[in-house]
Order: sequence, then C-alpha cells, then structure tokens
Amino acid sequence: MAAIAPERVRRGRRGWKRYPSRTFYLFVSPWVLGFALLTALPLGYAFAVSLTNFNGVSERWRWVGLRNYVELMSDTAAIDSLVRTLAFTAIAVPLTVIGGLALAVLLNQRLKAVGLFRTIFFLPSVVPVVAMAIMWKLIFNRDAGILNTILEKISVGPIAWLVDPYAFYALIILTLWGLGGGMVITLAALQGVPAELEEAALVDGANRWHVFRHITVPMISPVLLFQVVTGIIAALQIIIQPLLLAQTNQVGRVAEVPESTHLYMVQVYQEFFANNRYGYGSAMLWVFFLVILAITLLVQRTSRLWVHYTVDSEADR
Amino acid sequence: MTMTKTTIAAPTVSPRRPTRRRRRPARTAGAYLLLITLAMLFAGPFVWLVLAALKTKAEWVAIPAKILPETPRWENFTQALTEINFPAYLGNSLFLSFLFAILVTFSSAAVGFGFARLRGRGKRPLFVLLLSTMMLPQILTLIPTYVMFARAGLVNTYWPWVVWGLAASPFLVFMFRQFFAAIPAELEDAAIIDGCGYGRIFLQIFLPLSRPVLLTSFVLSFTWTWGDYIAPALFLDPDQTTLSVAISAFYLDPHGNPDATVQAAAAALYVMPVLAIFLFAQRYFIRGVVSSGLKG
Repeated sequence: MAAIAPERVRRGRRGWKRYPSRTFYLFVSPWVLGFALLTALPLGYAFAVSLTNFNGVSERWRWVGLRNYVELMSDTAAIDSLVRTLAFTAIAVPLTVIGGLALAVLLNQRLKAVGLFRTIFFLPSVVPVVAMAIMWKLIFNRDAGILNTILEKISVGPIAWLVDPYAFYALIILTLWGLGGGMVITLAALQGVPAELEEAALVDGANRWHVFRHITVPMISPVLLFQVVTGIIAALQIIIQPLLLAQTNQVGRVAEVPESTHLYMVQVYQEFFANNRYGYGSAMLWVFFLVILAITLLVQRTSRLWVHYTVDSEADR
Repeated sequence: MTMTKTTIAAPTVSPRRPTRRRRRPARTAGAYLLLITLAMLFAGPFVWLVLAALKTKAEWVAIPAKILPETPRWENFTQALTEINFPAYLGNSLFLSFLFAILVTFSSAAVGFGFARLRGRGKRPLFVLLLSTMMLPQILTLIPTYVMFARAGLVNTYWPWVVWGLAASPFLVFMFRQFFAAIPAELEDAAIIDGCGYGRIFLQIFLPLSRPVLLTSFVLSFTWTWGDYIAPALFLDPDQTTLSVAISAFYLDPHGNPDATVQAAAAALYVMPVLAIFLFAQRYFIRGVVSSGLKG
C-alpha cells in the first residue's frame, strides 16, 4: 500500500506536467467554462425547449417536434416583425456609419476646440438606454416636447412622435444620436492614414473627393466594416428602446408598443412573458440566431468587394 | 533664450501662414457653423432634460410649451430622492456594478494573458470562437439563461452577476490580449529563468504594467452594469432591482401616470456619474476601444 501511493502521485503529477498546454488552459478556463455554461448551454437548452410546448411554469409539458417552427412559418405577426427589424437595420446602420464617418471627417481638420466637439458628439453614445429613453420621451412629447415646439414655429405638426407611424422615425433618431461611438473609432482610423499618401495624390492632380473616395475610404475600410458588423448585430437585437419609448410605464405591457416599432425581439419577449409560450419563443430565438448568422456571413463575404486590408495589418496579427 | 528663438522662428513661419489663411477663411467659418449646429443637436437632449427637471408640473404641461422654467424648481431633485427608495436602488446599482466590474476585469485579464502569452493546443480555434461570440447578440442567450436560472432558483439573487463576472467578457479579453501581446518577451523570459511561475508573472509583472487597460476595462464594465436594463428587469424583483429599472417605471403621480418632471430629475442624477466617468477617463477609454476596434 505504502509503496504504491507515492508512485501514483508522482505518475499523476508527471502526466499533468507533461501536458504543455495546462497553464494555457488554466488561464483561459474562466472564459471556456463561461462559454459552455452561459452561451452553449442556454442555446442548447433553448433548442430543446423549442421542441416542446413548455409554458414556463407547468411541469406538464410534452414534446411537439418541429411544430413550433412550422407554426412560425405562417405566423404573420412574427414575420412582419422580422421584416420590420430588417428594414430598421437596413436604414439605421448605413445612416449611423456614414454619419459617424462624416462627423469624423469634419473633426479631422486643423480647427480649434476639436476636442470639445468630439466630446459633445461622443457623450450621447455612453448614455444608458433607460436615461436615453426618458430624455427622448421628453423631446418627442406631443404637447410639451421641444421638437413639436420648434416644428410649430414653421407651422408643422403637432406630430404624435411616439405612436404609429412616427414611432419608427423616433427610434431611428434616437439611434442616430448615439453614433458618436463609431465616430471616435473612425476618427482614430482617419488619423492613422499617412498624410503623404493623400498629399502625393493631390500633387498628382487628384481632387479632394477622389482622394477621399479612392485613398482615405479604402484605407479605413476595415474599421468601417467592423462598425457595419457590430451595428447590424446591435440593431437586430433592439428591444428595450421600443418598450421604454412606448406610452406605457409598465414593461410587461408589450401590447402597448406601437406596431411600427414592434421589432422581432419585442415579439419574442411578448411570446415568452405575455403569452407564456416558452416553447414557441425559443423557436423564434433559434430562427433569429440562424438569420443573424446568415446575415453576418453575407456581410463578411460581400465585404471582400469593398474592404481593403493593407499588408501591414495582416502581418500585425 | 526664448526671445532669440522667436526671432529666429519668425521668418520661416510668417511667409507660410498668411497664404494658408487667405485661402480658406470661408471654409473654416463654414466648418465651425456646421460643428456648432451639430453640437447643439447632440447636446440638446441633455439641456432639455435638465430644463424639464427644473420645471413645475404646470410649466411642463403648459400650452404653448415653455422653454425655460420661471424659477428653477430644485425640489424635483429632492422629491426624486424621496418619492421612491432612491438610496436603496442606488446601493443595488453600485454594488452590482462594482461586483461585476471587479470580477470581469480580473477574469478577462487572465484569459487575455493566456491568449497573448501562453502556448496551448487548440489556441487558435478557441480564439476564433471567442471572437465569434462577440458577434452573438447577448439577448439570444439572456432569455434562455433566465429560464434556466429561474428553474435553479437563482432569480432574485445577485449570483447571476457573479457568474457573468467570473466568465470573462470576450470584448475585454480581446482588449487585454492586444495589450499583453505587445509587451516584449524578455520580461517574462527573465522571470522564468528566475524560477517564477506564470501565475506570478501574470500577477506581479503583467497586471501592474496594464494599469490603463485595467482602468478602461473597469470603467466599461461598471457602466455596462450601471446602464443595463434588461438583466435586472428579468432577474430581480422590484424591491431588489437597480436604479435603471426603478427610474424607468417607479415615478408615478397619484393617478398612476408618469411623473415627468421628477423622473427627469432622477434621470439626470442617474446619468451624471456615467458622464463624469467618461469625461474623466475619456482618453484611456477611447484608446482602449479604438485599439480593439481597429484590429477587429
């Protein structure tokens, strides 16, 4: 007995030590475990639930196979909300990225107080979503809001900004207000474009627009792609803004969200927490997961046509 | 010294400047006009929030709308603090934000160190997986996580934030990796020769070196939790919840309608720390985000 025990320990330790990756695995284990428990497991769990008629409470659920998915294919409310979400993304993302680029170009000049302007444009992007919703509700308020007060001066309105069809535009405006986050990244990229390159082209007789279009934009295109991709992900999953902008103070009452801002995740939220259809809601989540995956791949593929990587940044990796 | 310097510098500078100035005064004026207009649009919501927070209820609903309050009504702020249990919600927000920020900063730094400085089988595919989870909308996993936690009885406790904190954030991991990867290898080679293990190299050499990144990570994760709405709304009961949920729904007048002016005062109090933190740490923060954004 006594002779076996130390040998076992030694062999065990040697086996562990022989494995060269152990320190690496030890260090990355928080994330690996986190990924397994908080990403892979919930997604797998959601898939399992999507094959049931579970209502969140009752233990008397049963497997229904793909019935939830079949139902989803003819659920006009869900499909409409998906189309609305895609439309919102297709409008909001280009506006935010191009708007951020325009602001960055404006700030990338030899002007005084550039730092002050940059701060003013940037700060809205860090405002927490709840405060953002409260602030914009005060602006969009039909009678007391500043927006209609100004519009009245030019004999427009009053517009009921927070109900159909204007709620959609209100949501776009609110999203655009936060474009400063992207602007800061674009501005840093612009400052990294070598000035000699642009100056050489100007000397060669190119005009400013050509230089911008054919030198500056290609040089910063990886940064723009990053913003397009993250912007799409952020826009697709919008849920809180419509809930909080709706003329209700109770988040549970999803029904009061106007149709034009009833986005896909709002619909999912409604199926889960208003209709208690956990199975169906999970199926909606999985379909959305696949849609997002497809869109991301599509963007990555088509990006080869317009994103330009310098040899430098490849070597950097 | 300074005198001679300026007199020497003057002839070389003076012939250039006037030509530049002469060429673009209109352009410069136009740029400033545009910048000032845009700045007013971006700053407008902050101004309007403060104005609303200083109005009486009658002034807020007056038709035609009043831009400025007759006399600033500071009572709205005291009412915001007393009408609901503001200190308790503030305490919850602070506690959760600190808890999550400390845990996630430390765990992300460790994981980032692993990816930057250590060898391991399957490191590359793991890193690609990490980057792709950055692209996964969190809301997709949040609702199933809620359902799982609810069945495990972890809802209405602060344990979810502990778990999220320990699990590291892919975005912060990436930021730390970028920083650690740029540190010269001689440093750890010398430490290894001295018989120092990787645990000590990480804690005693790399962590002290990464103070700006640690600060950025802390600020970012603190404000994520401070500003988060959906997680506390799902996971916590109204009496355990954070300031973000409380100010969004708990300010009601006796008729059950939103109490707009008091809510505005509360919202102003709620955003102020975030704005202050970012104004203070802007330089670090922008550098951190930019470095991860550029290489992403």
